[in-house]
Amino acid sequence: MGSEPIERRVAYIGDRLKGSKCPFCGKEYFRTRKYCGDCGRKSLGKMIDIDFFYEKGVLETCTVVREPTNRFTRFGAYVYGIISFHNGRVRVPGRLTDMIIGSDKSVDLDSLEGREVVPRFRRRHSVDKSDIIPTISLAFTFADEYYPYQPYEIVKPSKEYDAPGIVGYGVYVSKFRIREGAMERSVPFIDEDAITAAVEAGKIALIHSGVDHKLIGKVYVGSESNPYAVNPIASKVAQVLKLGEEEKAEGVQGIDAVDTEFACKAATSMFKDAMALVCYPKDPMDYAMVIGADNAQAAPRGEPGGELDFFVGFGGAAFIFGMKDVIAEVEGWYSCTSDTPDFWRRDLEPYPRHGGRFTGEPAYFKHIIKAGRKLMEKLNLKPSDIDYFVCHQPNPAFPARAAATLGFKPEQYMPGLQVSKFGNTYSGSSPIGLAAILDQAEPHKRIMIVSYGSGAGSDAYLFITTEQIKEKRSRQKFTVKYQAENKFIEYVDYATYRKFKEGL
Amino acid sequence: MKEPVAIIGVGRTRFGEHYELDPEDLIDEAGLMALDSAGLERKDLDACYISDYLLQVTNKIGLEEGFISQLLEMNIPIEKMRSFSSALMNACNAIEAGRYDIVLVGGMEKMTDRWSKIRDNLMLLVDHWSYYAGGTPESIHELLLREYIKEYNIRGDDRQKLMEVLAKISVKNHRNAVFNEYAHFRREIDVKRVFAAREEERRLLGLYDFAPISDGATAIILASLKKAKEYANDAVYIISSSMATDYISYPSRPYRTGFIASKIAMENALKMAKISLHDIKLLEVYDQSTVLEMISLEDLGFVKKGEAWAKLYESFENFSGFYYLDGKQIFVNTNGGLKADGNPLGATGGAQIFEVVKQLKGEAGQRQIKSDGDLTYGCVQEIEGFGTKVYVHILGREKGGK
Ligand SMILES: [Zn+2]
Repeated sequence: MGSEPIERRVAYIGDRLKGSKCPFCGKEYFRTRKYCGDCGRKSLGKMIDIDFFYEKGVLETCTVVREPTNRFTRFGAYVYGIISFHNGRVRVPGRLTDMIIGSDKSVDLDSLEGREVVPRFRRRHSVDKSDIIPTISLAFTFADEYYPYQPYEIVKPSKEYDAPGIVGYGVYVSKFRIREGAMERSVPFIDEDAITAAVEAGKIALIHSGVDHKLIGKVYVGSESNPYAVNPIASKVAQVLKLGEEEKAEGVQGIDAVDTEFACKAATSMFKDAMALVCYPKDPMDYAMVIGADNAQAAPRGEPGGELDFFVGFGGAAFIFGMKDVIAEVEGWYSCTSDTPDFWRRDLEPYPRHGGRFTGEPAYFKHIIKAGRKLMEKLNLKPSDIDYFVCHQPNPAFPARAAATLGFKPEQYMPGLQVSKFGNTYSGSSPIGLAAILDQAEPHKRIMIVSYGSGAGSDAYLFITTEQIKEKRSRQKFTVKYQAENKFIEYVDYATYRKFKEGL
Repeated sequence: MKEPVAIIGVGRTRFGEHYELDPEDLIDEAGLMALDSAGLERKDLDACYISDYLLQVTNKIGLEEGFISQLLEMNIPIEKMRSFSSALMNACNAIEAGRYDIVLVGGMEKMTDRWSKIRDNLMLLVDHWSYYAGGTPESIHELLLREYIKEYNIRGDDRQKLMEVLAKISVKNHRNAVFNEYAHFRREIDVKRVFAAREEERRLLGLYDFAPISDGATAIILASLKKAKEYANDAVYIISSSMATDYISYPSRPYRTGFIASKIAMENALKMAKISLHDIKLLEVYDQSTVLEMISLEDLGFVKKGEAWAKLYESFENFSGFYYLDGKQIFVNTNGGLKADGNPLGATGGAQIFEVVKQLKGEAGQRQIKSDGDLTYGCVQEIEGFGTKVYVHILGREKGGK
């Protein structure tokens, strides 16, 4: 049995790596404190809040743990050591994550010590299935490997737009993949889940946009793989990313945070809500964030629902909407919905079921084509007026066929087609495709995105890129292409993939 | 110290796994032995200071004072501390203050009763944030070794020599325990075996570098100087009792190639005893790992920082039971240390005291050391946590230096 108050306190400090700095002598601490030990009473109440969430540290000393304590056994072997920040002003214990160390594999500690590391928000350790999931950012990866160090700098907006649109975005896909035939799919490390992916995507979106985290008024997290049946992902995202104005005395964030669920369109559905909020006439918000993140679950092959096991991926995408420094303005939207249960998961069931009867024609194609056509009609556009097209990607064949049916050519839909790299990332699927397009689109290009969510419905949007899309690219090292073609990608076998997906 | 405190009786159980015994059975056995060796009845006791770390966790019992009261069938003051040395220090304080004349100090631990969870609890005790980051009770010793290697830039052949020294510490302690009838392990091992375990486990330090998890109890009887004369004419005296603390978080300590608390506690202890370091020929250090035996010799001042590995390497070349440091003989962990005698946390310090008393009195049997010149003083270092609290007690046949 865990203790909820202890979990809350450890996560409150540990997720963000909060600390304090003395305004007089500059001494820094991990974990917040009320006064400086050297300066004493004059510093009481004057300590400056700091945190190491966006910082780069150095792995000073380390060793390999091969016989972890009980709650860490599912990690297998891992590197554990001392990490310093700010030239050794602060030192913390830490575990290296995203690293598979076989029981027969030796680790050259000399080659690891002294390297730069980035803190990563992850699950802390195993707990009972009914307990609160503990998290922490005392997990680290090397700054020069798969996940690059990117500083978070708040940029003052320079331009206001007439229509709302995308201000910044972030995509997070894990370092591990399973490769079967021509298809690669992203696999979470054992300490990752939909919550950690949502936080990562949101973090990268903040870095890319340069938006002040305090100015985000609402965050939506769409997912169908929240490890909790009840308890939002969005509240964790808001707390870790410090979204909205922080009310320090109570430890609350001045933001509305909510989870949404509609299979794979749980996130795209909220794009219009987010855009409406930032131009709401009476009391507009500066920014709203929408995240789609999934650790898509599938029954083992051969079992009912096991056919999904060939396609499920892991990852997420986050979009920040606003009226200032927009990189892609919205032109219009259209959604359609019908009661078509083609994919579902009953409460308490571990894996979703897939109704073969509805899949394809009466579900996926019907809704996507309807939404796409209707939006073009609405805005009086032909496929040739649109530069890029992206739709939901449950497998490589469906989106290509849907695009062709709508009249799009491969050069229009290929840039957004990412399923053969990452698998079906569910709520993150079409948003990751959209991000891939934004990564490369020139200004003044028209992009259409059509999502699909089982159950069933589609959301279609049209965006036009602005001049500002180019100036923000320097803050986006972690592009979709970078994650798809990274030399640090590690391929795992089927058994490892199943184990990692199941998690701690 | 204002006045030395006499140790007039010592007792202990065998360390190891006591599957069939409750913690109170163990302390009963050790306590009776101590009373017996002092020639006392339990009714003579004015107070008890007892110690254990984890009975609340391993045996789900608290209020150990009540168990002791019931065993003694007495209503005297009894207080529970964590380590044996902490109980001993508090008992000494009370006797020095003139509150009590005869005090029993006892320690017990029943770690094997909850074998499957003990490492988690130990690590949480050492530092909960290190636990949350994935630390284990063993890995933290390896980090200390890495810090040491880095700080003193020990590479290549030197690194190999250092690892050999650590292995030889384990071998030496195992050999010492062969003649210790109470020891957890009474068998010799060789250097090859220490290295083989490290290699097999693919770890920096292996099975034979670490003290085991043990059950056991220890007890001693303390007396004020005036009372001691009535009971014993060959008492051993506690001539200093000192301790220092350090941050719970090892990574955040400024000094990480050893334990600053060891250094401070030892310096204060020597001042208190009015003797010099070189008067000490017998030393019991808290070798929770082989690294700690080596590092402690530096922290306590017997060898310069960064040089212990080289000096011990020389000592081991013609080893005959003692290290040769700074031109002086020093016998370390003659009972086998925590490595081989065992480490039932709350009782461990009592076994260290037991050994020094036996050696000083010449009653250590087959493991009695033969030092050049008189064996007058012995020193005990006990550590709580990972260098978080360090106790140093100096014992003497004489009541202190000049
Ligand atoms: Zn200060």
